[in-house]
Amino acid sequence: MADEPDGATTHEPIPAPRTAPEDTTAESGAAENDAAENDPAESGTEDNGAEDSGADRPDPAQGRRWSLPSLLVLYAAVVAVALAVVYHLGTVFLSIAPSNPVSQRNATTINAHVMPEFEQNWQLFAPNPLQQNIAVQARVQTLAADGGRTESPWIDLTAQDVAAIRGNAFPSHVNQNLLRRAWDYYTAWHDQNEKSTGFGGPLSVEYLKRIGLQRIGRDWRGEPVIQIQFRSATTDVTGPTWTGAPATATPSYRQLPWWPATDDDYRGLGAS
Amino acid sequence: MHALLTHGRRRAGDAAFRAWTTVTGSTLARYQAAIVRIGVALTFGAFLLREWPNRRVLYGDLSPWSADLSRQMLSANHAFSVLAWSDAGWWFECVYVAAIAVSVLMLLGWRTRATSLVFMVLVLSLQNRAVLVGDGGDNVVHLMAIYLVFTRCGEVWSLDARAARRGTRDERDPVGVAVWLLLGLALAFCQLSGFAKLGMLDLGVYTWGTFFWLCWLLAGLRGALARRAPESEGSALLDALGALLHNAAMLVIAAEVCFIYATAGWYKIQGSLWQGGTALWFPLHLHYFEPWPALNSMLGNNSTLVTVITYGTVIAQVGFPFLVFNRRIKNVMLALMMTEHLAIAVVLGLPFFSLAMITADAVFLPTGFLRLTGQGVAKGVARVVATPVLRQTIMRAPRATEREQEAVSVIR
Repeated sequence: MADEPDGATTHEPIPAPRTAPEDTTAESGAAENDAAENDPAESGTEDNGAEDSGADRPDPAQGRRWSLPSLLVLYAAVVAVALAVVYHLGTVFLSIAPSNPVSQRNATTINAHVMPEFEQNWQLFAPNPLQQNIAVQARVQTLAADGGRTESPWIDLTAQDVAAIRGNAFPSHVNQNLLRRAWDYYTAWHDQNEKSTGFGGPLSVEYLKRIGLQRIGRDWRGEPVIQIQFRSATTDVTGPTWTGAPATATPSYRQLPWWPATDDDYRGLGAS
Repeated sequence: MHALLTHGRRRAGDAAFRAWTTVTGSTLARYQAAIVRIGVALTFGAFLLREWPNRRVLYGDLSPWSADLSRQMLSANHAFSVLAWSDAGWWFECVYVAAIAVSVLMLLGWRTRATSLVFMVLVLSLQNRAVLVGDGGDNVVHLMAIYLVFTRCGEVWSLDARAARRGTRDERDPVGVAVWLLLGLALAFCQLSGFAKLGMLDLGVYTWGTFFWLCWLLAGLRGALARRAPESEGSALLDALGALLHNAAMLVIAAEVCFIYATAGWYKIQGSLWQGGTALWFPLHLHYFEPWPALNSMLGNNSTLVTVITYGTVIAQVGFPFLVFNRRIKNVMLALMMTEHLAIAVVLGLPFFSLAMITADAVFLPTGFLRLTGQGVAKGVARVVATPVLRQTIMRAPRATEREQEAVSVIR
């Protein structure tokens, strides 16, 4: 790919609008600071060698005299693109900035443009980094042929993820994100009483349930699973050792209700 | 006084004129566009290869985020994903393999205009199938894949550029026409046969269907003009519009990177732990981001290091958007940011996130540096290829054709 030592010198020069005589003195460096639509990424163009400017900046002598219709199209395009850029950057900025009067007033407009493809969140470890290790654990209830019900002990699903991440320079999204973000999704759509708060509620329940069922399987100790229950064990990351914070902390639990596990829930999980 | 006013008006006029010629007449930041293209394609392609064994659990038929759940979410948020059109195993495998292949083509810059559009479709399709398995790195790839469609990211460091330099693509360009026809046919088939579901290809004012057809028509128009009337005003006009769009997209990419750092920084300065200088300690002790616990506790137990990195991160992120306008500080800053992301790749076990962020940072690298690096890589490749063993084994036959092509380009 990098077989381009000489730049694209054979490129056809891109036709430029009709050029004024003064423009002959405008070298790359000068043109930069003035361009209204200038690109900050371009701040390095002064390094361009002379051979490159032939391709990058058209020779003024070859400047094109646009006809009126073309000129009108170009003017319209410049205005339209400028407005589109301002609108896009404005709405994206408001969607990621802290909530403020402007974004509150225009929430519908902003969402209409930003969602779903430009959705983003850059609160990376902010305002404060997560200070808890949340372990998601599950247990199942099985039904024996004689009608007897057995409960499994708690199975630490997060511990399985962590084990797969340890010593792995390229952790998989399956271990690093799947369960972690499914739990986040569940808690985002449920209140303290485990009541769904809207659209994502039922989806997050089904998702979390299927993750657990996939990992545990259709049967546990030879008997079919009929119910599954989740809980989270949250352990605070104790502060830095030099602050005298205790070395360990005791976990606190959040336990969800039992959910029935049907063949429908197992569909497509590859669990047997 | 009057003279001064006239002078001022003239200068403003000149400036506006230069701005005008710059945005409509030239493709700015070609090397930056190319490095973003290469970086994003590399990140996504490498990620897909790494997840090959897990692909069905992440995005396919074994996903706990079932096709049904996915469709419920997609019909609510109207995100685009061709994977929602069919649950058939062959369709998923085709899309996944195509995504790898197109990542390679994108990296090499083959038919970049068309390839970048297909690349975007595949990135959105896979990520939107199961958006909940993604992280910040996927988010960066997602955004850049969309923005790259509007850029001329294949003008340098690409097979397209090489073909243009050697003049190997003749004016009829049968491959280009074939790609164009094929994409048009595929689009028409998906739309008319009802293969596209959830109204994802519906025509409307602001829909994907309209966007794809518009791209297709413009590409066709451009190709036809380039062949029939390369010197015509229409051809020049399309070129100028393309340049305008490219320049606007590069501005958006640069602004997007500033947004990422600015918001990351803004939220951090509100946090007590970042103010207290101990914030770094906590991510170092999250089990999900701790592939090498011994390394993390070694870093974490050095209180000076923790404080310096904690404050340094906040300062760098908050200051990034402003510093990029000063060339010298910008370059120092970029080196620091890229180093930090390399460290994050190892320490927090986030290699693909880090690669995506380094790619995003690279949009601010100076052209001179990029060109030198490119030349260095080219020389290195040439030297490896020129070693006697390699030359005897692989280079003997191609050398004749190479000489021929050189002769052709001299004649041109």
